Amino acid sequence: MKNVLAEKPSVGFINMTNVLFDNVLINFGFATKEEKKTLLRSHPAKKVFMDLTCFDPAEFYNEYPNLQGSFAALFCDESKKMEIHFREKNEAVLLKLKGLGFTPIETSIISCGFVFPRTVVQIINEAYFALAEGVATKEDINRAMKFGVNYPKGPFEWSEGKELYVKTLLKELLEKTGDKRYVASQLL
Amino acid sequence: MNLQKIVVIGAGTMGSGIAQWFTQQMCSVELVDNSQEQLAKALQSIHTSWDKLVEKQKLSSLEVSRMKELLSIKSLDQVSRSANLVIEAIIENLAIKKDLFQKLDQYFEAHTILASNTSSFPIELMAEAVTDDRKPRFLGLHFFNPATIMKLVEVIKGKDSSLELCQELYQWFDAKDKKPAMCKDSPGFIVNRVARNFYGEPLRIVEEDDQAKMKEVDSILKEVGGFKMGPFELMDLIGIDVNYSVTCSVWEAYGQEPRFAPHKLQKQMVDEKRLGRKTKRGFYKYD
Repeated sequence: MKNVLAEKPSVGFINMTNVLFDNVLINFGFATKEEKKTLLRSHPAKKVFMDLTCFDPAEFYNEYPNLQGSFAALFCDESKKMEIHFREKNEAVLLKLKGLGFTPIETSIISCGFVFPRTVVQIINEAYFALAEGVATKEDINRAMKFGVNYPKGPFEWSEGKELYVKTLLKELLEKTGDKRYVASQLL
Repeated sequence: MNLQKIVVIGAGTMGSGIAQWFTQQMCSVELVDNSQEQLAKALQSIHTSWDKLVEKQKLSSLEVSRMKELLSIKSLDQVSRSANLVIEAIIENLAIKKDLFQKLDQYFEAHTILASNTSSFPIELMAEAVTDDRKPRFLGLHFFNPATIMKLVEVIKGKDSSLELCQELYQWFDAKDKKPAMCKDSPGFIVNRVARNFYGEPLRIVEEDDQAKMKEVDSILKEVGGFKMGPFELMDLIGIDVNYSVTCSVWEAYGQEPRFAPHKLQKQMVDEKRLGRKTKRGFYKYD
């Protein structure tokens, strides 16, 4: 599985008759909030399903009625599990995603960064702070979290190749909440 | 490194687990506690655990008979002064720990390594209780519960701990069935610091006392994230009061840094005595 985020935005849609999928998910690329909004504006008549891993779905739903659902995933393992939220459940979309090899897990929670990405970026951020302070090496921090509290991966294993996602989500959470708990480590 | 004679002070859950693990490495272990009743209970529990492991064919009868010979319960004035390593696993009270280390420093021979299993106090503060000669041989060895199963040992180098000694201990544990992690003497060490947001962030996602939402968060983190337990069920298991106390302790130690700030729901639960499984009511109900 390709696991490296493209620095250069790769933006577009997979067309499924009258449904559009944000292809960022498929390509593991990255698009800014404005690029995503531009896409939504350019297809007002289509039902759009968009990757909002790093953003606040509530903001997008409020501004764009054509956004019918959103999803989030950091794809930290080969199972390609993702959280998906629907305005109205759409079985065809679920089938399409499964057909593309994803495992969509439905959620009713609308939260900036959904549940797993929001939680894991904070664990990753703290690991970077600890690393910056010389508390331990990357290897020992990974090892400690896996063998002390049974995490499936160490924080740096989760973040490898996904630093852009981590930084973008932390920035978004900081802007949305104004809470300094989301200030990113300088090492990120 | 020769670690053949081990003394473990404190026969509670952690102390008896640590004593059991070292004995399983075929070290001679003396388990010490002020309470004879607690010592007898710990010994019985360890023996029962070994007998079950024989039944499950994880250990042989021969191995277990040897382990039973290697593990003894003692009062402090009866233990061997020539122990290689002494691990303190008593109550988390700094004054009591310092008082104990002062006594241990006087009692044991100069080569003996003194270590604390503390999860919350700086090693440097406890090292104040020992003489300058002992300081290089004083460090933190933080085990995780259950100590016989959880593989991590945080090897904590205090300001004056010998780096060479810490590295030797790291290698010794690595050669056994442990996964050591070397870390600096800082609040929460590695795990109790980095894990804080596994609880703090889900609490901010749910915000209110909403059991359905908590259940959904737990489920997503297990299913999507691959965690063995969700944060709310885990806090209920650990004890919401215990988890809240660790959160506050790390938050205070870092000068009330916002990343570690406790959430209002934690305090609310503690105030309402909804402490988790032990009170049959926490984030979830256990009737």
